Amino acid sequence: MRLMGHPATWGAIALTTSLFASTALIAAAPTAPAKAAAKPAVSAPAASAKAATSPAHAPGYNTERNAYFGDLHVHTKLSFDAYIFNVRASPDDAYRFAKGEGIGHPGGYNIRLTGGPLDFVAVTDHAEYIGSMEEANRPNSVLSRLPITQGLFSTDPKEIGAAFTRIVTAFAFGGLPPEFQDKSIQSRAWKEIQDAAAKHNDPGRFTALVGYEYTSAPDGRNMHRNVIFRTSKVSELPYSAVQSANPEDLWRTMDVWRKGGVESLAIPHNMNGSDGMMFQTTKFDGTPMDKAYADMRRRNEPIAEMTQIKGTSDTHPSLSPNDEWANFEIMESYIGSTRAVTKFSGGYVRQALKDGLVMQETKGFNPFKFGFIGSSDTHLAAPGLVDDRDYHGKVGRVDSTPAQRGSVPNNGAKSWDDPNAAVGANNARFQSWGASGLAGVWAEENTREAIYSALRRRETFATSGPRMRVRFFASHDYASDILKDRNVVSQAYAKGVPMGSDLLGVKGKTPKFIVWGVRDPNSGYLQRAQVVKGWVENGVAKEKVFDVACSDGLALDKTTSRCPDNGATVNTATCETSRFKGDAEMRTLWTDPEFNPRQRAFYYVRILENPSCRWSTWDAIRNGTPPAPNLPKTIVERAWSSPIWYEPKA
Amino acid sequence: MTFTDRFERLPGPLKSGLREPLTHFLLIGALLFGGGLIFKAQQRPVIVVNTQDVAQMAEYWELQSQRPPTREELTAMVRERVDEEILAREAQRLGLDQDDLIIRRRLAQKMAFAGQDVAPIPEPSPRTLESYYDRTRQTYAEPAHLTLRHAFFSVERTEGDPRLAAEAALATTRSGQTPVSDPFMLALTYADVSAIELLRDYGPEFAQLAEKAPLGTWVGPVASPFGWHVVRIESRRPARIPPFNDVKSEVRDAYMAEQRQAANAGFMAKLRKRYRIEVAEAPA
Repeated sequence: MRLMGHPATWGAIALTTSLFASTALIAAAPTAPAKAAAKPAVSAPAASAKAATSPAHAPGYNTERNAYFGDLHVHTKLSFDAYIFNVRASPDDAYRFAKGEGIGHPGGYNIRLTGGPLDFVAVTDHAEYIGSMEEANRPNSVLSRLPITQGLFSTDPKEIGAAFTRIVTAFAFGGLPPEFQDKSIQSRAWKEIQDAAAKHNDPGRFTALVGYEYTSAPDGRNMHRNVIFRTSKVSELPYSAVQSANPEDLWRTMDVWRKGGVESLAIPHNMNGSDGMMFQTTKFDGTPMDKAYADMRRRNEPIAEMTQIKGTSDTHPSLSPNDEWANFEIMESYIGSTRAVTKFSGGYVRQALKDGLVMQETKGFNPFKFGFIGSSDTHLAAPGLVDDRDYHGKVGRVDSTPAQRGSVPNNGAKSWDDPNAAVGANNARFQSWGASGLAGVWAEENTREAIYSALRRRETFATSGPRMRVRFFASHDYASDILKDRNVVSQAYAKGVPMGSDLLGVKGKTPKFIVWGVRDPNSGYLQRAQVVKGWVENGVAKEKVFDVACSDGLALDKTTSRCPDNGATVNTATCETSRFKGDAEMRTLWTDPEFNPRQRAFYYVRILENPSCRWSTWDAIRNGTPPAPNLPKTIVERAWSSPIWYEPKA
Repeated sequence: MTFTDRFERLPGPLKSGLREPLTHFLLIGALLFGGGLIFKAQQRPVIVVNTQDVAQMAEYWELQSQRPPTREELTAMVRERVDEEILAREAQRLGLDQDDLIIRRRLAQKMAFAGQDVAPIPEPSPRTLESYYDRTRQTYAEPAHLTLRHAFFSVERTEGDPRLAAEAALATTRSGQTPVSDPFMLALTYADVSAIELLRDYGPEFAQLAEKAPLGTWVGPVASPFGWHVVRIESRRPARIPPFNDVKSEVRDAYMAEQRQAANAGFMAKLRKRYRIEVAEAPA
């Protein structure tokens, strides 16, 4: 849930979620989820075994699997906040946009996807009060006559803020009037979403998945998930945070759906705004986790969205002091508020993976075993609009101009020293947002079943926007010249495992890793490939970042595990980057120099581009003013593979 | 006893007083005044709260509070409703609704809504649709689709220049050999790929070559952002515009959407005609 940065807002959010929690008690108790709880755990592999093998293949079928790029986090006018932000684009518009057509931006201009059409998209509107704002703005509808909806739909950003606060406050004090729970409004919106997906799904060419966002935020701590369905067979209505703010209730519900033949998975996001709650090492209610809990979580949450516009949740500089690239698009506030996050552990995926290893070691189960994707969280119905060169914010009328985003001096001032130039506290929040988030998957073909199966088996990767391709395999048996083999990919699959998998220990053998990255032709060149390793040593989780391949023929320093600087630069007055620096692709067969066969570990790849201008610098150049002094002028775009877990021989 | 008899029996001074024209005047005046009062009372605007309204208020209360309202609560609700109505009417009487941004916006919204999508769009005849398709056929254009294979020579290869390697590989194809590719992360064979996908993934040179190259023979080398390629197009379905029958339902949707849009725009245009619009020059 995107919440406006009104000063009063965040107090209201805290109250909001206590409402969610209390309704949970009413709603969740007697219904189906409780039943599921009594009969837990279909085993995890059962779900992934469902990968469809249809006899006829779609165009583009490739046994070695293709990289497909998509966005699994997209809001349209059916989301209550997007509607208030003046967004009027529909799910249909979102899919049209993903296919390359132009749509309107609430700021009064047209937007179009750079970099060509996407391969797959899910529209994921907030399930809570879905479709109700559009209904409330329809004259003579029941909702339009309620006092709370009067004067709610303004085009003035200040009034939008007030409207937003009003709705959020209403959540807090006893909830929105019961008219908002009208099932027919929800059904109509849910049908519109399914119809748009059905219309645009085109096996072999474009995949439209049906989904929604479950928007739980107890005390403002972000516990949001996107629920994605495998096929057109979906739940009758979304299960929302109005029913329960406890994600365990969502998972139980998904288990029930699964038993009824409705297959879905949930993707948590913005753990950075959860104040340590998303990956806390206890259950929602603070009681200890157990194996049944870990199984349920992994069965329902095979992947995590670790980068999006509201920041990147790989790791925080304070959690990874030895990672020079940790400080990347870090957002240190609650979602939709200026309230500062106080607890970073539990809010970032790397730490969670480490905690998972420790739990596996000490308790025999691992609740945090997931792959990575990125997505945009656009509220403009504009999937994949995450190019720093062409950034349009994501909350419609509220951050549609550079001044609103804090990338240029306020009030038309030409200098940041001008007393009028100061960026207001609410708008300062938008400064820390990044133009980030795409999901990459390795799948045989571009169909719902194939892409969903890839998500299930975690053969996925995340990028900060560019369409870089990353492959990552591990095996004990790769030949030392496998990279020269023209059948390297089929060999890699035949003799090893791809990203997202477990590699089991074999006595006397050291695993070899294929690390392979290819640049996005429309973005920068690559400067280095890295492997991020986490492991457990004497019961304590550790981490280390290894450079494994250097660009421009530079030699890796084996003692520091670092590549020399390749000298690539950016002219921040023009955003021009240095020519002839960096590689189009990087490929290496890597062995862990510190490998210990008895230590449980995970490995994931991070590929770094040469530095390039951040969106805020592009905004400033177009405005003819200097970049904001408190913001980084350049960023290092990147891609992350899903991890491979090394499991020692018992 | 007649009226005259009674009058004659009245005491003298009263009798003379009643004969006074001033008395007549006052009497008639009083009658008129009293009648006016009664008339006026009947002419006062009425606020009616009927049983249906009361029932609705009670129902709404019950939805909110999970219990029916007490008699006192209901009375208070009715009083509030009446007060609100009175205040609203008085505000209107005083013209307080003029120049109010929110009221104006709401009215405009209601009017716009009233004018939108009102007239049903008649189902178009097949002939109408076909002529619409003829005018808009370009929107249904499909890119060329190809079956191809290629060999790739990476700009990052360590042995030799990739372009020369590609040329050498191309030369070997003259003697019927299959060129040996560097490992490549994208596919080396495509059973069915669109020209748009090739453009996106390999850039314009590659895409153009793929659209023009002769079938069944190795051609190149051609550059991409990744390196050099030699390409063999196995088959090609040229870019085309699908026939009407293949896209009938899309054509209908587009036609209906356009008609609806036109009707809505026409409504606004008709209203605009009723006004002369004067806009001051925008301040510099």
